[in-house]
Amino acid sequence: MTRTRIISPTRFPSLKSQRCGSGGDASFMEQLLLHCATAIDSNDAALAHQLLWVLNNIASPDGDSSTQRLTSAFVRALLSRAVSKIPTLFSTFGNTVFQPPADEIHRFSVVELAGFIDLTPWHRFGFIAANEAILTAVEGYAKVHIVDLSLTHCMQIPTLIDAIATKLNKPLLLKLTVVSSASNFPPFINISYEELGSKLVNFATSRNIEMQFTIIPSTYSDGFSSLLQHLRMYPTSYNEALVVNCHMMLRYIPDKTLTPSSPSSLSLRNVFLNQLRSLNPTMVSLIEEDADLTSDNLVTRLRSAFNYFWIPFDTTDTFMSEQRRLYEAEISWKIENVVAKEGVERVERTETKGRWLERMRDNEFGGVRVREEAVSELKAMLGEHAVGWGMKKDDDDESLVLTWKGHSVVFATVWVPI
Amino acid sequence: MKRDLHQFQGPPDTRFPNHETANTGSSSKDKMMKVKEEEDGGNMDELLAVLGYKVRSSEMAEVALKLEQLETMMGNVQEDGLSNLATDTVHYNPSELYSWLDNMLTEFNPPPPEINNSFLAGAGGSDYDLKAIPGNAIYARSNQFAIDSSSSSNQAGTTVTTTTTESTRSMVLVDSQENGVRLVHALMACAEAIQNNDLSIAEALVKQIGFLAVSQAGAMRKVATYFAEALARRIYRLSPPQTQIDHSLSDTLQMHFYETCPYLKFAHFTANQAILEAFEGKKRVHVIDFSMNQGLQWPALMQALALREGGPPVFRLTGIGPPAADNSDHLHEVGCKLAQLAEAIHVEFEYRGFVANSLADLDASMLELRPSEIEAVAVNSVFELHKLLGRTGGIEKVLGVVKQIKPVIFTVVEQESNHNGPVFLDRFTESLHYYSTLFDSLEGVPSSQDKVMSEVYLGKQICNLVACEGPDRVERHETLSQWANRFGTSGFAPAHLGSNAFKQASMLLALFNGGEGYSVEENNGCLMLGWHTRPLITTSAWKLLAAH
Repeated sequence: MTRTRIISPTRFPSLKSQRCGSGGDASFMEQLLLHCATAIDSNDAALAHQLLWVLNNIASPDGDSSTQRLTSAFVRALLSRAVSKIPTLFSTFGNTVFQPPADEIHRFSVVELAGFIDLTPWHRFGFIAANEAILTAVEGYAKVHIVDLSLTHCMQIPTLIDAIATKLNKPLLLKLTVVSSASNFPPFINISYEELGSKLVNFATSRNIEMQFTIIPSTYSDGFSSLLQHLRMYPTSYNEALVVNCHMMLRYIPDKTLTPSSPSSLSLRNVFLNQLRSLNPTMVSLIEEDADLTSDNLVTRLRSAFNYFWIPFDTTDTFMSEQRRLYEAEISWKIENVVAKEGVERVERTETKGRWLERMRDNEFGGVRVREEAVSELKAMLGEHAVGWGMKKDDDDESLVLTWKGHSVVFATVWVPI
Repeated sequence: MKRDLHQFQGPPDTRFPNHETANTGSSSKDKMMKVKEEEDGGNMDELLAVLGYKVRSSEMAEVALKLEQLETMMGNVQEDGLSNLATDTVHYNPSELYSWLDNMLTEFNPPPPEINNSFLAGAGGSDYDLKAIPGNAIYARSNQFAIDSSSSSNQAGTTVTTTTTESTRSMVLVDSQENGVRLVHALMACAEAIQNNDLSIAEALVKQIGFLAVSQAGAMRKVATYFAEALARRIYRLSPPQTQIDHSLSDTLQMHFYETCPYLKFAHFTANQAILEAFEGKKRVHVIDFSMNQGLQWPALMQALALREGGPPVFRLTGIGPPAADNSDHLHEVGCKLAQLAEAIHVEFEYRGFVANSLADLDASMLELRPSEIEAVAVNSVFELHKLLGRTGGIEKVLGVVKQIKPVIFTVVEQESNHNGPVFLDRFTESLHYYSTLFDSLEGVPSSQDKVMSEVYLGKQICNLVACEGPDRVERHETLSQWANRFGTSGFAPAHLGSNAFKQASMLLALFNGGEGYSVEENNGCLMLGWHTRPLITTSAWKLLAAH
């Protein structure tokens, strides 16, 4: 007689301790997501189905709590992963359920983007810290060349231009160089970089600053080698400051976890930093998110992602629904990228602060403490936002860290060649 | 290996003339008869005479199902004088057949699940006039008898493909569209003949079907095979092995079906969605499951209840199922496992299992119902209600009991097709279309144990609905509108399944083969899962009309 077989209850996650209202605790959601990820990756379709059904019921994309919405974003990402494991294309299903987040991503106008970025300190923190350092670093130079490797399409620059314009010893020329591949991930803008450049130049002109805007076709996928080559071809001239501002862009450069077979010294990130160092820049600012999303193991990665991306969901929880939806869409894009994509498609390979600091020091950069004026400006800025925002100074390593309810969010560091 | 055919009832059928005397001409059949007579001089059941060999009662085949198929087809080998009616006769190469049979008799191997590989070409023809086959037709079950395709003359127009199965048997198939059409016609004609009680014509046709089925590939072949077997059983009055033994087998088969394709999962998830929503805000809930089986439906619901806003309710489950053959309390086992789960997820859980031969044996008083202000009840039935339609008063009794239970929701999942019409031919036609679609949907699934068992699961349903009658015929599927009528007149009103159920279904289907081919449709608040445009399974939910 065949023994009766039942989906073993031990395969269902056992959830400890308290229950709470409002759609369930984050730790329950996390556990279910992790179990679901394991089930999907081990092709356990029946368990995956059951968990997805449960998750779909307890986590709605329009749910009341940010935890629900966060979980819902992860569920959609897991689904996307599960579906992509199946070679046949999936038919467009109930347009109700299944939209790859990328389709929904909004294209901002420049003004909209500026407003969007100003909603939280997420980027403003790095902008202020970097701009302060830049102003200090370029003091006395006749020409200032800024290479802006930024996720935010030069949103940092207008403030910088304003600040430069008010200085007594204005530089004669401001050169701004950007790369053209910065538009493969959100936020997306609805104009070309040429147009963006001309707007910035006009703005600078209105402040009586002469500005040149250059776009270099270069991509993160090869460590911006064309950019570096260009910079080598046109070395900084006498009395010209070279500032490289890396604002949440370097994480897209492939690292060891993308090509584990290559020898460790060949990490493209290290190559980039090494070549950058050889250009002897006046200053490098490095602003990144403090999380580890590089693991090859889906479950590990998902756990790290869940324990990081709850933060942006939480920070915008009290926003008006339209703005919140936009924000969450951007984050959902990242979540999907981290969870559902593999190989070169998975571009979001954020590393921790510790790791980046190690890289910088390995490549002969030394950290520079940000001035007190910067710190007070940052504090003032944080005061304009919700109460949960804070910052801390790490005395060990001269970094400034933006925090939300005590959790590290973004770190800002300034470097000079040593 | 010999088989004991005495287990099959069926009076000696006078339609079949006594074969021993109907031998015509020198033929391999004569040779075979001699072989068998040499082997033993035991008694020959008249049925055995039809099928052509002797058996010992001491040897019971464990794979009765498959063996019967085989023997039906083998019956084609024994040509008798009665099928002078088939105009399209196909003949086989006699010498190869002889050696195949010889091998069969001396060294029987249990047939593997892909039994349809071992079909023998059927033979018709009044006088056993053997000619060379048009095209290539036979293939053997073992390597030693690999048929050389060049040995038969080729007729123009047929394509020949040679394939090697996993067990390295070589097989020669003839695949032609024409045969597919002929196959369907033969099936329909056979059913019609049965309908008109022209059993000799039916018999001839069933043999043809066997041969034609071989020429098809994939779903069509499997479906035709199962229907042919069922038709043969109906003709020869061989009923399938009785159902008592089968409950554990059918539970197991249903598990495989659950894993292979989305239909059962769809049923569970949509029913659970309705139940979850109906239980909103209730502190104590009770689910009465008419289709307990392995309890596959409940872990997900329990988990969702565990995590719902406001915390889980106290969850009581009453599972109803048929008795197990070995008297083991399998319902109890299932309950224990669910209890373990409940403990792991911190849901207060109570369980009771009820064994009943039929749902109609139930009474509300047995169920220990508590007042409805205290405990909200849901009644759930997946593929069980149609079984009641074979006995008078069955469904009425059960619906009466459900009403006494006063559930907040009554979830019903049934096959979406009318296989219960009064006219055999209509039932046959409907089910042929239905199961063809169902098997088609399985074609995309990679071959596996699960898939094969799923096909057996469906094959048993086919067998029951074609070959059985009266109370034995339990697979009496009906359509949603028929059920809706019945529920309506019994005092139930439809409870619309919300958009959540639709979304869940769509999402989960995306995970099956990319959702390619499957479709979810909403029909009057009920959800139907189908293959391409044909709905196959319907989930509906019902509540009591206030007045009743």
